[in-house]
Amino acid sequence: MRDFSRAGVVAILLALAVAGAPAASFAHHSFAMYDPAKLVTLTGTVKDFEWTNPHSRVWLITGGLDGKPEDLWSLELPTSPGNLTRMGWSKHSLKSGDRVAIDINPLRDGRHGGSLKKVTVLATGEVLTTGATPAAPPAK
Amino acid sequence: MRSFSSMSLLAGLVGAAGLAGAGVCVAGEADGRTTVNPPPTAQAWADLAKLPDWSGVWFPESWMATTARHPPAWKPAVIRDVDRLKALEQAGHPKGLFVDCLPEGMPSFMIMTIASTEFLFTPGRVTILNEFDGNRQRRIYTDGRGHPDDPDLTFDGHSIGRWEGDTLVVDTVAILPETYLPVSQAVGLPNDGDSHIVERLHLVGPDHLVDEMTIEAPHVLAAPWSVTRNFTRNRERAHDIVEGSCRQGDFVEGKDAQGHAAFLPIGHTEDGAPLPPDPSRPNP
Repeated sequence: MRDFSRAGVVAILLALAVAGAPAASFAHHSFAMYDPAKLVTLTGTVKDFEWTNPHSRVWLITGGLDGKPEDLWSLELPTSPGNLTRMGWSKHSLKSGDRVAIDINPLRDGRHGGSLKKVTVLATGEVLTTGATPAAPPAK
Repeated sequence: MRSFSSMSLLAGLVGAAGLAGAGVCVAGEADGRTTVNPPPTAQAWADLAKLPDWSGVWFPESWMATTARHPPAWKPAVIRDVDRLKALEQAGHPKGLFVDCLPEGMPSFMIMTIASTEFLFTPGRVTILNEFDGNRQRRIYTDGRGHPDDPDLTFDGHSIGRWEGDTLVVDTVAILPETYLPVSQAVGLPNDGDSHIVERLHLVGPDHLVDEMTIEAPHVLAAPWSVTRNFTRNRERAHDIVEGSCRQGDFVEGKDAQGHAAFLPIGHTEDGAPLPPDPSRPNP
């Protein structure tokens, strides 16, 4: 489930070589680059579900039907495995090959990234969301 | 070395005097090379049972609630800098907090954390652990020592504490001037030096703890910033602290040239969002 294919890895490294590897580290970042005013629903197939810190991530393949090209999306969950566990998620919540509909706030610049808001697993109808962490105190 | 405020020095002296008066051994002196921490006595361990029960795992309220309730009073000279940061955040180009995986530091450690937190009592110290972005920790010395004469500046600073009844009073100095005063997830202004924080942590209900902070940052704040963060206790194991790391998301799991399991770097937007291998393709 977790390994990217060798071809995929080569493609990633090639893209980095072309674009230039980032000079700084980034991983925990604000979600301001995602547009909260836009909600887009993507339907596709889970390529990989990464149960990683600081933000878990879904790689989603869309398109590929009716002669259309496939597109790969990086969809970040807005928090960590620890907090996602408290919301009812697990590393088994999604698996490679799952057909899903995912609501996202997309990147403002139009590239293939988004902040994941809700997943519907099409085969089962199960819905997973990324709301408030249970047991967090209310605002006072 | 940066100078401390008179309030800071006074608080340190008062803290040390209070603990010494309570019979706690003061082990630390000016020469750190020869000072030792004495082994705790059986009585020191027994005395921990007299402290309030802060066991379990504590989860904070939303930082948005905290900062909205307690906005800082900025000096007029830096308001435009804060407004610029807010505009960048609104435009989707966040700067400042949460862009480079450096420790959040104080006071963000307490104001901005959004994950499980623990308070550990051992003789002579209180340790605060949280899960956020790399399992951060704070060490608060309650053995009666004062602040060092020439402390190294750090993200979380140097903290000493004393108990006033069931309230832990913490005095923190020696915070790096680059450490942010947070106002939103992507907006924080460096404290610019001489920051000093006093905290009063105490229970206000069986499972409700507050951290009442008074933050001095004389170079950027027009007045001390009073902030209270609420924490709720959880005893469910789902809230136990787990590993938090800040940079794992910069990689995907794959194989190296020798076929070994390896983390392989991926691309990002200039603002840090991960991208699929071909970032130049427009959305369908």
